[in-house]
Amino acid sequence: MITNIQRFSLNDGPGIRTTVFFKGCNLSCKWCHNPETLSLTPQLLVYPDKCMGCGACMQVCLKGALQVVEGKITLDRELCDNCGECTKVCFSGALEMAGMETSVADMMCEIEQDMAYYNRSGGGVTLSGGEVLLQPDLARELLKACKEKGIETAIETNLCYDFSILEYLAPYLDLIMADIKVYDNDLHKEMTGQGNELIFSNVRRLDELDIPYILRTPVIPGVNDNEKEISDLSRLAGEGKNLLYYELLNFNPLGGSKYDGLDMENHFYEARPLPEARLEDLKNIALQNCASVRVG
Amino acid sequence: MRNRINQFSPDVDMGYHQRVKILRERKLEDTKDKASYRSFADGDDYGAITPPEDYKFEPIPNHENGSFYGYEGWSRNFYKLMAEHPIHIDPCDAFANRWMNCLSWIRHENGINQFNPDYSYDHLRSEQEKYGIVTGIGSDAHFGGDYSIGLSLGWGGLLEKLEHYRKINPEHNEFYDAEVLTIKGIQVWMERTVREIDKAIEIETHPLLRENLEQMRECNEYLINGAPRTLREACQWICWFNMASREYNRDGAGCQLDEILRPYYERDMEAGIITPDEAKYYIACLLLNDPHYYQLGGLSPDGKDMVSYFSYMILEAADWLDSSCNITVRVHDGMDMDFLRKSVYYLFKNKNGWPRFSGDKALSEGFMKKGYPASLARQRVAVGCHWMSLPGLEYTLNDCVKVNCAKVFRLSLDEMMAGEGEKSTKALFEIYKKHMRRAVEVTAEGIRFHLKYQVYNEPELMLNLISHGPVEKGLDIVDGGAMYYNMCIDGTGIATVSDSFAALEQRIEKEQKLTWEEMYEVLNSNFDGMDGEYIRRMLASSERYGGGNTLADRWAVRINEHFTEDVNSMDGDGVKFIPGWFSWSNTITLGKAVKATPNGRRDYEPINHGANPHPGFRKDGALTAMSNTICAVQPGYGNTAPIQLELDPGMARDEEGVQKVCDYILTIFDQGATLLNINIINADEILAANENPDLYPDLVVRVTGFTAYFCLLTPEFRQLVVERIIKAS
Repeated sequence: MITNIQRFSLNDGPGIRTTVFFKGCNLSCKWCHNPETLSLTPQLLVYPDKCMGCGACMQVCLKGALQVVEGKITLDRELCDNCGECTKVCFSGALEMAGMETSVADMMCEIEQDMAYYNRSGGGVTLSGGEVLLQPDLARELLKACKEKGIETAIETNLCYDFSILEYLAPYLDLIMADIKVYDNDLHKEMTGQGNELIFSNVRRLDELDIPYILRTPVIPGVNDNEKEISDLSRLAGEGKNLLYYELLNFNPLGGSKYDGLDMENHFYEARPLPEARLEDLKNIALQNCASVRVG
Repeated sequence: MRNRINQFSPDVDMGYHQRVKILRERKLEDTKDKASYRSFADGDDYGAITPPEDYKFEPIPNHENGSFYGYEGWSRNFYKLMAEHPIHIDPCDAFANRWMNCLSWIRHENGINQFNPDYSYDHLRSEQEKYGIVTGIGSDAHFGGDYSIGLSLGWGGLLEKLEHYRKINPEHNEFYDAEVLTIKGIQVWMERTVREIDKAIEIETHPLLRENLEQMRECNEYLINGAPRTLREACQWICWFNMASREYNRDGAGCQLDEILRPYYERDMEAGIITPDEAKYYIACLLLNDPHYYQLGGLSPDGKDMVSYFSYMILEAADWLDSSCNITVRVHDGMDMDFLRKSVYYLFKNKNGWPRFSGDKALSEGFMKKGYPASLARQRVAVGCHWMSLPGLEYTLNDCVKVNCAKVFRLSLDEMMAGEGEKSTKALFEIYKKHMRRAVEVTAEGIRFHLKYQVYNEPELMLNLISHGPVEKGLDIVDGGAMYYNMCIDGTGIATVSDSFAALEQRIEKEQKLTWEEMYEVLNSNFDGMDGEYIRRMLASSERYGGGNTLADRWAVRINEHFTEDVNSMDGDGVKFIPGWFSWSNTITLGKAVKATPNGRRDYEPINHGANPHPGFRKDGALTAMSNTICAVQPGYGNTAPIQLELDPGMARDEEGVQKVCDYILTIFDQGATLLNINIINADEILAANENPDLYPDLVVRVTGFTAYFCLLTPEFRQLVVERIIKAS
């Protein structure tokens, strides 16, 4: 299951890319800017501001989960079974489904439309999420189809799984982009719901695959935007032989409206990206441990 | 008009950089002044300034309706305009004077701008109105001259050339009289300017600015008759031609600027009389004088890359000025890629909408399909809003002629719904094709009328001088003087029409969510009421043009194929017709002629811009999807269907980002794109500017093919630009 196929993606690897967002994640990072990809099942997003109050959705909702109150839609998530029927009659954008079953062939139809851009720019396809490796068969099949068409491939992953799953995809991978989020294990658990032991163990095994990789840290205000965290994380990154570079990703606040649409708590509602100067400071710290560091 | 003389104490730094910086600040002051003049609204920046408040030009009529026409009318009025025109001197500027008004606007302001009534085209009007045709009849300029003619001869040499050919063609005395009077008018303006510079020299106390004024005086006095010898003289001569041509009829076509100016610079360098910074100062002043459309790079007639160090210098000079500018970089596979990167870098650095990019491959190969050799096709340079022109060789009416395909569509739908026959997209397309064919025929008939009678309405007395043929034959360029007649016919509303066909096919025929009658009733009620609005949104959310292999994309390909075939089939009698897709900024006025359409567009709302989709065409706004769509609907005969992009400033924040944008540009031109216009603008900034335009006097946007100061746009135009940018973000 995926949530979206985004073309002309410039921030998910080299060149011009198409990014396929897989649905479902085994971490629950509190700052995630794609909260609709966290759950493994389809979810209804509700945007009352876009509702025109026509009530068409109420007529098709067998569970009685939707009501128009004062001209705007409201959803009772206790009743909603996320069947998605309401979205088929909503043309205002007030109701959207996150999550769709799709075939590799259908995805390739979309992906292949930008072949010329990949070829010219050294770009390709990136599987992102969510966590791609929670759906290893779909991911492998899609990566394989891309390689058969001569398309360069990459994944963005949290590395929080058995290393053998990554080995299963490796024959069809040209690049791995993996996150190392927080070095302090307690803090990692608090912020992502999981410890970082398995992740860091996998980081140290990446060289076994003989595939170039990029390690990245989303720099989150008040979490890991300090010298110690960045110094420790960059030291870990600097151990790798096939590391292309270590990248500091500035906090991305764009997921805000999706938290509202999903009725999820946004822990970083008021957080803003770090000033460029601060990122440069952190980059200089990381450079003490890594030969190549970028700010994204 | 503000006084700029003696404004600085003698010890203030007045290096070239500093002077350009001052000129830029002064331009912002001028732009504020222009905001209260209707003539300057919703148009290019033009480089013009406002005239003194007490200045008013009284035209001399030569027709009983109070207007003036033909050789005699235009030359006499132009001479008077030049003889009375205010003079503006700025000691920081390398060049003298600025333009302020033009005969076309004066005719309009005085209500005397109708086509010469002695030559009626009433027999065409009813069908022109029926199909919403922008006829081009009576339109002026919109083709490119060959500056090298004027630069090599100077005004004095051009006068000698006129007298030479007058002897050969005595039967065309009226033509030669008019052209001589035109040049005499310019010379009078120049002589008056020299006298004003003299006065400025007496007042100016800053030693460097005074020295500059003395050089300006010497340069201009020489140029009254002489042909330019140095870079400064060449640039000043171009300024004079541009100003005079603007004053005549707002002509804004430029030239292949790098190759035109490079020889003068090299000569000056060889003589040791110029420095690179001095040259960049001259170029910046030239660009300040008027943001004419100039091309950089491209291929020489024999297929060599024309990018030179001087092309870089022009980009650097434009960067110094950091203002509204209409430079186009011609892209081809063998080009100096560093130059492309540098161009993209400046585009993102300054966020002023320059440069634009044109694609050599599709433009040249397309033009060759009209029977021209590659060597000629490569010389067809970008010198207009969305158009190319062979300098001095062809007459085109580029950007002046439009068929409103949305109107053709709506009347076709009305005809089908009123009839007893089958109601289907197939039947509708047959009716649409029939009307479109007729619309193109009527358009071509209008152009042929224009070619026959425009000389009695408004001859091209300025551009004739730098064209190959008119002076030699004694014939106006419209009247047989040109070497080639490649007449532009642009379609408009391709997204509106494609989206409409797709919505009907999807919602009525495939999904059966609506009947034809229900759809038509709602359409005629302008989507009234809750039910109407519900259906409107259903139709509007159908598979859209620009979405990537959608129903609408496939309709667009068919619509383009038929339009292209119709236009090409009009060729004959030495006149060729070239199809394109471009609305210019007529999206509002063209939309006002069309009732609601099945793409969810309400009565009289704007049609789509150029070949671009309607905003919101795809949830992720993927540029590649949109670009592929536009590449697939290129008519492919040398005119354009441009891609207009609104990009976030962060997209090319580093070298890698710049390279990705370059790769995108190279790919679309590989795929058949012809022209690319890009706005680099932050959504928050444009929203704030829309609230308080006066607080953003230096915000430049590429409205369409042209750039404009945002504060000079009317609220309706601003909203159009804002909506595009917000949806794209």
